[in-house]
Amino acid sequence: MKNELKIFKNNGEQKMRQTVNTKFKQELKEFGVGNWNACFNCGNCTAICGLTENGFLFPRKSIQSIQMGLKENLEKSVDPWLCYYCGECSDTCPRDANPGELMMSLRRYLTSTYDWTGLSKKFYTSKFWEIGFIAFFGAAIIAAFLIFLPPSQRVYSNPEAFVNDQGGVMINSMVDGISSTQFIKIIEYGDWTMAIIVALLLISNIFRMFYKVILKDKSIHIPFFAYFTEFFQLIYNFLTQARFSKCEKKSYWVGHLLLMTGYTIMFMVIVVLLPEFQIEEVKPWYHWQRILGYYATFGILYFLIIAAIERLRKSDIKFKFSHESDWLFIIMLGLTTITGILINIFRLAGMPVLTYYMFVLHLAILVPMIIVEVPFSKWSHLAYRPFAIYFAKLKKASYAQQAIKSQLLTT
Amino acid sequence: MDTKATAVYFYYPDDDSIINLDKNDLEQFSEKQSLVKAIWNSKNLPSKDINSLADEIKRNNIERIVIAGLKPGFRKSFFAEAMLKAGNKLEDLVLADFGQYCNGGTRNQEIAKSMLFCAFNNVPFEHGFQPDTNTVKPETLVIGGGITGIQASLEVADSNNKVFLIEKTGTIGGHMAMFDKTFPTLDCAACILTPKMVEIGQHPNIELITYSEVIDVKGEPGNYQVKILKKARRVDLSTCIGCGICSEKCPSKTLSEFDAGTTLRKAIYIPFPQAVPNKYLIDAESCIYVKNGKCGVCAKVCPAKCIDLDQKDEVIEISVGNIIVATGFQTFDAKRIERFGYGRFPNVLTSLEFERLVNASGPTSGNITYRTKDKKGNQIFEPGSGEPSKFAIIHCVGSRDRNYNNYCSRVCCMYSLKLAHLIKEKIPEAVVYEYFIDMRAFGKGYEEFYQRIKEEDVNIIRGKTARVEKSENGIKLRSEDIINDRIIEQEVDMVILSVGLEARSDADKLMKTLNISKTEDGWYKESNSTFDGETTLSGGITIAGACQGPKDIPDSVAQGASAASKVIQSIMKNKINQNIKDISLSKVEKRVEDFQK
Repeated sequence: MKNELKIFKNNGEQKMRQTVNTKFKQELKEFGVGNWNACFNCGNCTAICGLTENGFLFPRKSIQSIQMGLKENLEKSVDPWLCYYCGECSDTCPRDANPGELMMSLRRYLTSTYDWTGLSKKFYTSKFWEIGFIAFFGAAIIAAFLIFLPPSQRVYSNPEAFVNDQGGVMINSMVDGISSTQFIKIIEYGDWTMAIIVALLLISNIFRMFYKVILKDKSIHIPFFAYFTEFFQLIYNFLTQARFSKCEKKSYWVGHLLLMTGYTIMFMVIVVLLPEFQIEEVKPWYHWQRILGYYATFGILYFLIIAAIERLRKSDIKFKFSHESDWLFIIMLGLTTITGILINIFRLAGMPVLTYYMFVLHLAILVPMIIVEVPFSKWSHLAYRPFAIYFAKLKKASYAQQAIKSQLLTT
Repeated sequence: MDTKATAVYFYYPDDDSIINLDKNDLEQFSEKQSLVKAIWNSKNLPSKDINSLADEIKRNNIERIVIAGLKPGFRKSFFAEAMLKAGNKLEDLVLADFGQYCNGGTRNQEIAKSMLFCAFNNVPFEHGFQPDTNTVKPETLVIGGGITGIQASLEVADSNNKVFLIEKTGTIGGHMAMFDKTFPTLDCAACILTPKMVEIGQHPNIELITYSEVIDVKGEPGNYQVKILKKARRVDLSTCIGCGICSEKCPSKTLSEFDAGTTLRKAIYIPFPQAVPNKYLIDAESCIYVKNGKCGVCAKVCPAKCIDLDQKDEVIEISVGNIIVATGFQTFDAKRIERFGYGRFPNVLTSLEFERLVNASGPTSGNITYRTKDKKGNQIFEPGSGEPSKFAIIHCVGSRDRNYNNYCSRVCCMYSLKLAHLIKEKIPEAVVYEYFIDMRAFGKGYEEFYQRIKEEDVNIIRGKTARVEKSENGIKLRSEDIINDRIIEQEVDMVILSVGLEARSDADKLMKTLNISKTEDGWYKESNSTFDGETTLSGGITIAGACQGPKDIPDSVAQGASAASKVIQSIMKNKINQNIKDISLSKVEKRVEDFQK
């Protein structure tokens, strides 16, 4: 009996502690369009969404929290991450309040609250910070290559020397005094450094998310075993994005899955399998490294072209409002892909000079993009979304337990 | 004489096609005015910041600001703050809303200039022009034979003046005749309407012209020549005895308008048993003889020999002093909202269809049954198709929705509650769910009615339904229960869509004929929404009832009577205002001078 009463007391406490934050709306405006005052809380958006369920009544409840300035309510909520923005709520909203885009803005806002460095907020709310940061990093990488790993002078005078029997450029042997095994090691260490920095930032942010969403929310008591039983949800949703497939418009899911798998494969290849991937020998087209590369290129390009066209056309409500971070994402990833393709072309065509400079340019775009976007900006959703689903499942387990307890209490 | 240095700001929203003005011409006109020191618009406004605008106002010694354009009130607070900061008084902020008097007609520019002129001199436009008056012919034309037109006709006719009442369909009565009960008193609609209809038919001062339309209006206030197209009824009104043999024998069937398309009627028909005039008519669109010259059964069997199948339309001309427009509304076409499944699922009905179903004079004599599809694919009610037990009523269908109609249709909440009551009355064990956004029970006795329905065990849920889908046991609805924070997925047998009210699709045609104007929602525009809700900018033309805006029956009746009182006033004084829209700038200038003296 004691325990049950505590649950109710805690619930009551939670409600009483809510304070109206009048500055919150202004703060939120910086993260995207905000037309929340138009909303008259009819509940159409929640009802039309195929992903809503009891306990997770978005977008309307999130919008109501904004309207009332309940910042704490929003910060402990995982709801924005459970939405995949098919746009149906915005299409049918009787007040043109655009709930879909509001959820998108909330995701940007939440990303900035999880981030402890404060950079995320800077990147989302100021173009100059984000672009400046990327430009600075890119310049640093170009400088590092030209100073420490400049191409040999013979690349200009005798380019044939760097082309092997198969007609491909020997990409790892173009720096004087550094053997191809040493060169690949340097690049590999660089890749791993980047991956570890990004991972540490992201993991610490996920822990902050966990703290805000689960630990700080005193109204829920997660059954201990649920942490393990629900864990497969995280992996499953990361790999398949099954939740996205429940949306009305399936084509978005297919496109997104192509991008995700393509990008993940490419990332694994350049970090974990680099010595197998960046080699002098030209493998036949059906070799696994080439097949994977082509698949990743196709997946990423397919997504990017469609996203760019739709965002320009603005015919679908999902693409009507583009935040700077949306465009930056498309442009950076597009440039990375294009430079990557060009490296491949120049290498196979036996053009060492162009191959080298394209390789440097490629890294100068890729590395800052990953450093900026993965922990601080749009890319971070690759972790937050599956974790949000995991946390939502935990919350659900807690609700279910509470329901059983309160039933016992009443009977 | 008022000589304050004035700045004028022209404000137009994105869509200003409704007033259709030459904006450059207006700015040039303003430039010529000696009082006007600055002309601003959205492009050349000195500053978008209130403080620096206030400085600008101070620097140029501007003492008065006129905000002109369409809906200038939108910018009022901005300029008001700037004016106060600059040390001016708020009464020197003057609005000139062209939308009030400009209707896209030929004299638009003149009216707008007159309004500007009055605003520059801080003379209320209403004082600046007092239209000349004409003498008035005592005859009155009432267009539309619904409850508003009926009330207006009776009021005018009872003051011993001649009334022509024109009705488009074969009978007067309008939408009210289709209803079962009226809210909130639950009076039988037919019982209170039909005596008035009979009175119209028998009134010595009323000439009822049914199955007719106004096609042309000429002349001036107080003396209009109106051309009326009398569609061929093909049945002689004076000799038809209403025996019904013709209809019995007629082989052609079509959907009944009176039953909102939920049942079939013959090509020769009487709209409903209490119709006035209680005589048959032939619907040319479904009559086999009219279409291909064969048949003519009705003419052969008619005992009174009153059927003339070859009758042609004719045009008559009448001369009247005043015109009352009471053309009413149409209901929102629920097919436009695909996700509610109307048209796909037979048991998703509009409120008007359900009103007929539950009506004792309706297709099933008032028994609530499932709707079925007949062989031709018509969704109609046929007796004996079983009784549904779970009902959902969805409010605000097509109303309060920017995708369809932005306004509140005013009547739907109350009639939905009434329908819930009627279901409970007919099937006491029925389960009724009402999905609403906000409950608008604003009239006398309405709130009490709402509470009463709640006590009748109707489940009233706050939350708009998003989807209506077919399920195994009927129809599934998904909505959010906002009060209790949960999703509701409900299975029901029958869904009633509370469709909103819209301006009639042919309202524009009549608007052009009468040379009156409309608001952006399509409703006819009154000259002043607060004080003068009946008159229009055209002298001698008054509007009443739902053609002016969504209204329930009591309000329609009241406005009908009110329009009649305007007409009777003008007849008794033998004076009528000329058109406001014919105002000329020179006259206004003279009047403003007189006024200032």
